[in-house]
Amino acid sequence: MEKYLANLLMCAGTGCVATGTPKVVAALKAELEKHGLSDEIKVVLTGCNGFCAEGPVMLVYPEEIFYQKLTVEEIPKLVEEHFLKGRPYEKLMFKDIEKKHAIPVMNDIPFFKYQVLRVLRNKGMIDPESLEEYIARDGYMAAAQAVNEMTPEDIIKVMKDSGLRGRGGAGFPTGLKWEFASKSQADQKYMLCNGDEGDPGAFMDRSVMEADPHSVIEGMIIGARAIGASKGVIYVRAEYPLAVERLQMAIDICLESGLLGENILGSDFSFDLEIYLGAGAFVCGEETALMRSIEGQRGMPRPRPPFPAHKGLWDKPSVLNNVESLAQVAPIILNGAEWYRTLGTEKSPGSKVFALTGDIRNVGLVEVPMGIPLKTIIYDIGGGIAKKKKKFKAVQLGGPSGGCIPEELINIPVTYEDITRTGAIVGSGGMVVMDEDTCMVSTSKFFLEFTADESCGKCTPCRVGTRVMLDMLTDITEGRGREGDIETLQDLSKDIIATSLCGLGQTAPNPVLTTIRYFRHEYESHIRDHWCQAGICSDLCSFHILDDKCKGCGLCLRGCPSNAVVGEKKKPHRIIQELCLQCRSCYDACKFGAIEIKPSLKKEPEPALKDEGVTQ
Amino acid sequence: MVDDIKILVVDDERVVIRSVEMVLKAEGYNIEGASSGKDAILKIEQHDYNLVLTDLNMPEMDGITLIRWLRQKKPEVGIVILTGYPSQETIKEALELGIIDYVPKPFTPAVLVDVTQRAVDWLRKQVSAEEEPKKEEFPPSMIEEIDRVIKQYRSRPGSSIPVLQRCQQIVGYLPPEVQKRVAKGLNLSPAEIHSIVSFYSFFTMKPRGDHNIRVCLGTACYVKRVEETLNKIKADLKIDVGDVTEDKKFSIEVVRCLGACGLAPVIVIDEETYGAMTPKKVTKILEEYA
Repeated sequence: MEKYLANLLMCAGTGCVATGTPKVVAALKAELEKHGLSDEIKVVLTGCNGFCAEGPVMLVYPEEIFYQKLTVEEIPKLVEEHFLKGRPYEKLMFKDIEKKHAIPVMNDIPFFKYQVLRVLRNKGMIDPESLEEYIARDGYMAAAQAVNEMTPEDIIKVMKDSGLRGRGGAGFPTGLKWEFASKSQADQKYMLCNGDEGDPGAFMDRSVMEADPHSVIEGMIIGARAIGASKGVIYVRAEYPLAVERLQMAIDICLESGLLGENILGSDFSFDLEIYLGAGAFVCGEETALMRSIEGQRGMPRPRPPFPAHKGLWDKPSVLNNVESLAQVAPIILNGAEWYRTLGTEKSPGSKVFALTGDIRNVGLVEVPMGIPLKTIIYDIGGGIAKKKKKFKAVQLGGPSGGCIPEELINIPVTYEDITRTGAIVGSGGMVVMDEDTCMVSTSKFFLEFTADESCGKCTPCRVGTRVMLDMLTDITEGRGREGDIETLQDLSKDIIATSLCGLGQTAPNPVLTTIRYFRHEYESHIRDHWCQAGICSDLCSFHILDDKCKGCGLCLRGCPSNAVVGEKKKPHRIIQELCLQCRSCYDACKFGAIEIKPSLKKEPEPALKDEGVTQ
Repeated sequence: MVDDIKILVVDDERVVIRSVEMVLKAEGYNIEGASSGKDAILKIEQHDYNLVLTDLNMPEMDGITLIRWLRQKKPEVGIVILTGYPSQETIKEALELGIIDYVPKPFTPAVLVDVTQRAVDWLRKQVSAEEEPKKEEFPPSMIEEIDRVIKQYRSRPGSSIPVLQRCQQIVGYLPPEVQKRVAKGLNLSPAEIHSIVSFYSFFTMKPRGDHNIRVCLGTACYVKRVEETLNKIKADLKIDVGDVTEDKKFSIEVVRCLGACGLAPVIVIDEETYGAMTPKKVTKILEEYA
């Protein structure tokens, strides 16, 4: 390999590409060329770095200096300062919260400091399209060991000892799954990868597939060897075109290099791998549904047993693992189960990737040891709430199957057991932070809209039950809630959980149950006082200007779409309630917190539109 | 028999108009003439015609422009072109715009009557077909491509989803005709194919606009109030989710999560991702595509 003076690792993940990587790279290359540095400094396009909030981002190797929010205009200055004069360019560095000083080195930045990279070991470090770079970082060493030196029993023992639990959501021990399938007798077995990342708010699998496709393939080779599968399928969402492209490229290179196909790495083990494009159905994340989908049918779950380890794809023994689980397999084989257990807790060992999003300062992908307090993730890594004056309200974990965790529980350690105790689930790792401007009733309605829509329709409790719950929540948010609704919602939830076949129905009521558990007063205030205190449900609030706080700056007046705000400059303004549409724009515009949200002024709520097709 | 058919003939040479009038009047058609594209548009706006016969090469507004205008404003009017130089290119362009047939100039009365009769028959068939479920027709090249895909996948088990994905790429959507063709090709019942198409959100049975706007309704986008942006798009384009604008330029879809939560709220137009959307920003972006 050629030696370069410096490597510029430019993030080419989806986030940074959308904020300008392609243009910045072109400008950077042109500028380096201009100064005759093209042969000295190499620009490498990497997968997602994880710090999406600050994109486009770039890491300068070997100094590990981190630049963020790059723009085409700043490139000449950056090249001049850093590469010609040799002093890193402070303007584009990360500034700490008080904005007092810049933090040049990546691992000193709090967002990176608390992270441990196992799944994401190669993120932002290698060119995802290059097999050599993956191998240079110990890639395919574990696979070589697995096919040449280890027996399937050896592999399964290491995996079981490591205690790795499936990262797709349910947390079933991976080693155990492999053991079941390995003991099944059949002429054909299948090793499958679940890349149908459907949870809204989660994008860790996408990042792994885009940034490090070989790590998934290596995990699959080892798994296939363990269970004795000669065929494998990676099921990927069609909405992830870049992931599909990179995986296909990686598979093709592996076939050429003898890492896939007949007699892998000179052993007697053969494994064929192909990609199957999902067609967009949330329920296909469920294993039996996913297998039906690969068979070309409607992706509807079926009862278990028989478990897929005995009768899976095409009725043959099959194992389905999540992308993130598979990406952990190679390091576990290479370093041993003990090494894996150095992180995490007894029952939840290792590390987990979370997608940190919502009203948080540092949006991005983070990998942390299991057992870390939730607070550390949100405040130290995430940097707290994005808007300065707003308070933290809740964090939603586990997507539509998960729940909301309130502020009083924020010190709990992040393990499968502790999170489940709160009523939420670790799930695939979506972590959506919400500030005080969030209405929890609307939030649970949002999730139910999702599950009601995605219910495959097989089980009546899930299909009809979620719809009935959604209608009740809609009534509550529009001022037609009645006493007793909360209890009915809880009852319905219990029935749906108890009588649905698959995980979708069994967890669909979780968002409602947890919000009732921790934010019951919000439901009550919606129902009894017609008051949405966050001002989100427009039928249940009114906006008023506090005379003593209003400076008469006119921001609200200019922002109002219905000219409902009146007042002279520098004197307190007033809202004409008859004209107000409750659009909230005054509330968002005000810098002095002078807008107050009070209960709705409407005497009688508008009657519900009668559904014409109730019986359909 | 044919006196309920109104025909407009458009040509910059009066002699052509007169001779067409003479021939077709004798057959019983109602016929009028226009001497330029502009003149034709004025007349079409005032009267209802069933069929327009037009020259291609005219000063000011040429025939193709007139045809384009007709397809957009009066798609029900049948079009036949009269042309002195039927080059492959112009004929192809006109065919793509949906003309029924063409008459090469100079023409004999018999040819003109024949082509006109065929065009009128075709129009009548269309009208009666519209009363039944609408039947779409696809160019032979598209059908060939669909058949090729089916053949390529036929022997593989579980190929219905990949085949439908490829067909949607080719046609843009999956109308009943395409579904039936796939069903036949894969030796499945149309009901089975339809059950798959209706199950997966990736498949659409409605055509999309030239620019497909996908709005992310994932959790992160929801928390960042993507609804305001979605409502703005709906108001700007005056269509609802799942619909196409009248000029077929835009269509709106909602998706559950685009996996770009770091940029929330996110919309994707065609293949381009736009992050941190606000109602104000989105209007500007839509203008770029208009």
